[in-house]
Amino acid sequence: MSGTRTGGNAPLLEVRDLEQRFDVSGGLIDRLRFSGGRISAPRRIVHAVNGVSLSIRRGEVLGIVGESGCGKSTLAKTIVKLNEPTAGQILIDGEDITHHDFTRMRPVRRKMQMIFQDPYASLNPRQKVRDIIMEPYLESQGGNVPDRAERALALLAKVGLGTEHLDRYPHQFSGGQRQRIGIARSLSVQPDLIIADEPVSALDVSIQAQILNLLMDLKDEFGFSYLFITHDLSVVRHISDRIGVMYLGFMVETGPTRTIFSAPRHPYTRALLAAAPQLGTKLGPAAGQLGGEVPSAIDLPRGCPFRQRCPLAFARCAEERPALLPVGGGQSVACHLDEPAIADPAA
Amino acid sequence: MPRPDIATTPLLSVKGLRTWFHTFGGIVKAVDGVSFDVAPGEIMGLVGESGGGKSMIGFSIMGLIDPPGRIEAGSIEFEGRDLATLGEDEMRSIRGKEIAMIFQDPMTALNPLYTIGNQIEETLALHTMLSARERRMKAIEMLHKVGIPQPEQRLHHYPHQFSGGMRQRVVIAIAMIAQPRLLIADEPTTALDVTIQAQLLRLMRQQVVESGTSLVLITHDLAAVSQMADTIVVLYCGRIVERGPAEEIIARPRHPYTRGLIDSIPHESDVDGAKRRLSQIPGNVPDIRRLPPGCAFAPRCPRASELCRTQDPVLSERECVGDGSGPPRLHAIACHHPLTVSP
Repeated sequence: MSGTRTGGNAPLLEVRDLEQRFDVSGGLIDRLRFSGGRISAPRRIVHAVNGVSLSIRRGEVLGIVGESGCGKSTLAKTIVKLNEPTAGQILIDGEDITHHDFTRMRPVRRKMQMIFQDPYASLNPRQKVRDIIMEPYLESQGGNVPDRAERALALLAKVGLGTEHLDRYPHQFSGGQRQRIGIARSLSVQPDLIIADEPVSALDVSIQAQILNLLMDLKDEFGFSYLFITHDLSVVRHISDRIGVMYLGFMVETGPTRTIFSAPRHPYTRALLAAAPQLGTKLGPAAGQLGGEVPSAIDLPRGCPFRQRCPLAFARCAEERPALLPVGGGQSVACHLDEPAIADPAA
Repeated sequence: MPRPDIATTPLLSVKGLRTWFHTFGGIVKAVDGVSFDVAPGEIMGLVGESGGGKSMIGFSIMGLIDPPGRIEAGSIEFEGRDLATLGEDEMRSIRGKEIAMIFQDPMTALNPLYTIGNQIEETLALHTMLSARERRMKAIEMLHKVGIPQPEQRLHHYPHQFSGGMRQRVVIAIAMIAQPRLLIADEPTTALDVTIQAQLLRLMRQQVVESGTSLVLITHDLAAVSQMADTIVVLYCGRIVERGPAEEIIARPRHPYTRGLIDSIPHESDVDGAKRRLSQIPGNVPDIRRLPPGCAFAPRCPRASELCRTQDPVLSERECVGDGSGPPRLHAIACHHPLTVSP
């Protein structure tokens, strides 16, 4: 059963200065470079997540937005320990799981479950639905579950499916139904935290709305928290209490949903909001104004990660990387323009 | 159905198009009696969910339907010719030159073994008498137009040396270089990020407006279509359920399916006050091989009656609630119980 394991207001999930780097150098032969009569073998490192900190309270929905390659999915995978973090700390319910191995992660996985983007790839095609959705629970109980069938049925009912679906295989379902199965699977251990990585982006609009409603109903019923990862601004606005905006592996802005949408501070957040198509408005003057593309995560730019595309960049942005600093009202921004010394002329 | 409100003759006139696929599991009526006109310079949005038949309309126009698919009935009139009756040779002289197509995935639309210069010039080599030098100049000019920096050098690069957004720019350059009269874009920005999507939609609109090309924009993204299109056609299970001026369709949808689609999109106002539930369309898109009798949307429709479950609604036109200026514009709905609009 879910329940408070530690008292007080300790966050359910806390991530501190998380770094995730991947070595993509390949073998020695691939790495060899000849220049100026010298031979070298430089490593190629992808800096996927760069010093990200975040926290989620019980019952809270934190949305992470950003474009492809911004590190949002890697962040999710690292938090559930599908990647071994390079540096930083991950705490669940106050327990530091950063260096937990597979065995020690087992009990932790009962608190934290993941829903994946692709409902076609995330279900085993050879398993029946009843086995798919019960797997995390069986795993957590050591396989000894007498009332298996009843539990499976109860889970399916929660996500709007029924008895007739128990003995079917994934290919017999539509995309929306498969996503429901994935959700049922994550519910089986009654987790405290659900990490959802683009759970609706593979679905049609009308089905998207069904799944979003389901996720919100389940949250109301079970009181769990979401880390909700998406590139879709209208979805993140709908579901999140707070939002974090990522760019090139950095968290560039965080704050309450309403504030992020009504008073975005970081130039990237503003550009992102301006670019998002709005129903019934013609292509606005601000849309498509943000030129250029996301730079490579292998050779991170010096200074601010956004400076090459930023319309407001100035000399300091190329020199110094801005830190994510609070600007009041629960909002934090990583931008030199918003640092107190500049924002406040009196200082 | 002819549209008397458009003074100029349409560039493209699709009438009663039926594109069916004869599979072992039954006949898939991917496009089942679809009619619409596209005026010169018009931007038309074809919207609907997967299985709606929107891509198949694009493929039918391009003559790219392969067995077991077949155009069963209807005509596709383009500048006085019926494309549905043309042979492959004749279609080949039209494809790329007069009608060009942009596909969803810029990763697969380009040949990885040829430089992009090669691929841009190919269209010109096929359809014009230009010399190699002139073709090269044109290709450079076109790459410049679609916003690719250093086009002289980039001409010699291969597709894998470009990012997704840049590749889609190359695809747009290839499509536009022969100055086609009609451009069909099938989910051109779906695979791309929002900031890149905005750049490309802007670019596409600028290109078609400057050259007077008509654009058929096929997408599932109602918001993107509402930003671009003059006219919107909404498809469900291979049929048109609603068609009309873009602002009218978005602001005053009359078909319950269109209304449902619009309401499914999380809206700006959600952030104020309590998070409301999204109004959702119940159920799933039916198996197109086993469509229910009557209106295909009836099983999911809150307004459905016995009539809907037995009798196909006919697409019928009525005048929009206009502001009185300009010629009357028509709004077509296939519904027995359309939503009423408050004036």
